[in-house]
Amino acid sequence: MKGLDLRFDEVRLANGLTVIGEHNPQAASTAIGYLVHTGSRDEKAEVAGVSHFLEHMLFKGNESYTPDDINRTFDELGADYNAFTSEERTVYYGAVVAGHALALLDVLTELMRPSLRQADFDMEKKVILEEIAMYQDRPSRRLFEHANERFWNAHPLGNSVLGSSESITALTRDQMLGYFERRYSPGNVILALAGNYDLDAVLDHVGRRAGTWPAFDATRDRPLAAPLRGRERLTDASLKRLHAAFYAPGVAAETTKARYAAGLLASVIGAGDGSRLYWELVDKGLADNASLGHEASEGAGAFVGYLSTAPERAEEVIASYLRVLGEAQDAGVSDAEWRRAQLRTATSLTMRAETPMGRLMSFAATYQTLGEYQSLARMVDEVMTTPLAAGLELLAARPFDDAYVLTLGPDA
Amino acid sequence: MSLTAAPIGALHELTLPNGLRVVYAPMPWLPTVSATLSLPFGSTTDPEGQEGSANVLHEWLQRGAGGLDSRAYTDALLDLGVRRGGGSGREASNLAFGFLESVAAPALDLLAASVREPRLQDGEFEAARDLALQELASLDDAPTQRLFEALQAEFFASAQRRSAYGTEAGLTALTPEGVRQDAARRLGPQGAVLGLAGGGTWESLAGAVVAAFGSWSGGNVPIPPARVAPVGRHHVDADSSQVQIGLAFPSPAPGTDDMYAYLLALEVLSGSMGARLFTEVREKRGLVYSVSAFFRALRGFGYTLGYAGTTAERAGKTLEVFLAELARLAEGVSDAELERARTGLLSSIVMAGEASGATAGRLSNDVVLFGRPRTAAEIAAHIEGVTLSQVNRYLAANPVPQPTVVTLGPAT
Repeated sequence: MKGLDLRFDEVRLANGLTVIGEHNPQAASTAIGYLVHTGSRDEKAEVAGVSHFLEHMLFKGNESYTPDDINRTFDELGADYNAFTSEERTVYYGAVVAGHALALLDVLTELMRPSLRQADFDMEKKVILEEIAMYQDRPSRRLFEHANERFWNAHPLGNSVLGSSESITALTRDQMLGYFERRYSPGNVILALAGNYDLDAVLDHVGRRAGTWPAFDATRDRPLAAPLRGRERLTDASLKRLHAAFYAPGVAAETTKARYAAGLLASVIGAGDGSRLYWELVDKGLADNASLGHEASEGAGAFVGYLSTAPERAEEVIASYLRVLGEAQDAGVSDAEWRRAQLRTATSLTMRAETPMGRLMSFAATYQTLGEYQSLARMVDEVMTTPLAAGLELLAARPFDDAYVLTLGPDA
Repeated sequence: MSLTAAPIGALHELTLPNGLRVVYAPMPWLPTVSATLSLPFGSTTDPEGQEGSANVLHEWLQRGAGGLDSRAYTDALLDLGVRRGGGSGREASNLAFGFLESVAAPALDLLAASVREPRLQDGEFEAARDLALQELASLDDAPTQRLFEALQAEFFASAQRRSAYGTEAGLTALTPEGVRQDAARRLGPQGAVLGLAGGGTWESLAGAVVAAFGSWSGGNVPIPPARVAPVGRHHVDADSSQVQIGLAFPSPAPGTDDMYAYLLALEVLSGSMGARLFTEVREKRGLVYSVSAFFRALRGFGYTLGYAGTTAERAGKTLEVFLAELARLAEGVSDAELERARTGLLSSIVMAGEASGATAGRLSNDVVLFGRPRTAAEIAAHIEGVTLSQVNRYLAANPVPQPTVVTLGPAT
């Protein structure tokens, strides 16, 4: 941060495992994450949900660590830790006070070699089924499960992260092991550190413990996307609100300049208070939520929006939402709006970077996608120098003409 | 565990002649500043028959101030890159800003303007009320939040039982003139606290605060003490996949000698994935995805809320295991459990101390609840000082009382 001498470290082991770090000698804590380049987009239909289920199973340990050992060890370090799975990647991460960095690394490395015991698998399957049931009770989650699958139209980015209760019930431990053995190649894994750590000690640890992981090919399919457009509806008489998801074609994560432009454009149109959707719908009290963001994935991206409103005025509100998008395409956005989106984004990036954990999530995912390190200063600079013209160029392609809209609510 | 790496500096404090208390935690390595303005009004002091007045006032405040209409005010914030957050609660409401140190003076002036000279225009009133009504309606589609509102309505006998969302009848009965009178009654600097954390210098921030807040005046309504209702068990019918289980019971008040011992015991119960609840309910039995118990503090009153979500056929067993774990606390905790809990709490202090927003929020909350801000070192010393015999003596003498239990979902 301010006036600090941050150092970027980057080392690749012979088996392909990449170690990166942003060293900050003044940080009180250290954040560490293993980012595995695998997610629901890498699943075949018969193992839908396996990436996420496997993420849970890594916390069940191996020959050296029981599940209790794993949890207890994290606790003894005072670690703030967790894991998540997306379409793109599976991330295991934690933060500790700086003195415990190596011990945290030790247990995280241990996670990466799981036993996948049958008894643990059977028990955890129940937890996953409860997680699926929990999200069934959250209409916005249920809406986006469907909308994502429909919009991506058989493209693997439409695969559900959780899977279904049917696919999880049918999944076997051997199928999971097979997936692990195809996907968790060291060449597919990045170990990232942020904050205060001793590079030599880290490399010594990783060399001994992860340098022996066998390497194999683990590539990702990147078929062309042919997203769906149009309007569909789901009804559920028990709901009190109308929830709507909006999708439109966006830009891929690899296209750095266009990705920043798409993010800023989505911010002008729909990032919280002061955006166009805010003034048109939330400020007027027509919707309690109306937003738009941009999600850049490898090989394809999408503008993704959401609104929640009263069922009786849903049609009027959806029409207003689409009109706001259309007006941006027809008339563009202004310099002042662009500048505000830049400042908002730059402040957010800077505030997130206050903690090693916030910083880790930001630069490590970027590195995994682009193969390139971006410091906070570089990210802020990219945001502040992305010209309005880049946003107008995206609008000139009229992405919102191809919008896909899915609603979920009580019958009209 | 050593806290020497933690950024523990002395705090700066100031009380303005109008009564506003200001606390600043310097974090000189940051280019960012967070400000949390805690306002001493919430649903507890809503006028009878106007439940939701605080919620609407909180929203209305942010719709134009100091000669700027709603749009100009929001644009002024965006021109500075200010991130705005906050919410309205039971006893207090807050406005939270995050910004770059370089714009601290104008950002603080805009924050002050919304309480010093809010526009409170009729046209904005209707939109603010509509938004509040919609948020209330959205609760119906959010079973977990709905459960916690129902639970606290049963748990409290005093006005703290009122939801911060308000009621449909109360919101509908509001008038612009009525809420303006309400603002005159309780939107004042007495009892308000401004927590600041981040970069900059105390001299320049204090100067900006005095200039911005010095002329603020207004009334104050005392908050009645919290009282608990007789213990009960209630069910709310809802058409959902899972049954939401909530429980509530009184706990040591903030600032009492027992509080730190209790917080350590609660950490043993539910502080992590290695804690008792997670282990017994999820890891050993696979009954839930989500289970937790956490401390809540009001002025002079502490309580604990418990939560579990599970499918209907497992709800009985889940509640049984949960209650058994609460009862087991009376038998005490082990030395190893206590040390893990201690490490976890100390570690979270260090990590929260790296984030300006978390620090500013804690400081303003401290003044509200404890009457003065605590340094991170002071909290750490309290946690370090609690002995095993102290915790176990407390637990033996104060078994967890029978909780009020509310379930929401299909009948079990």
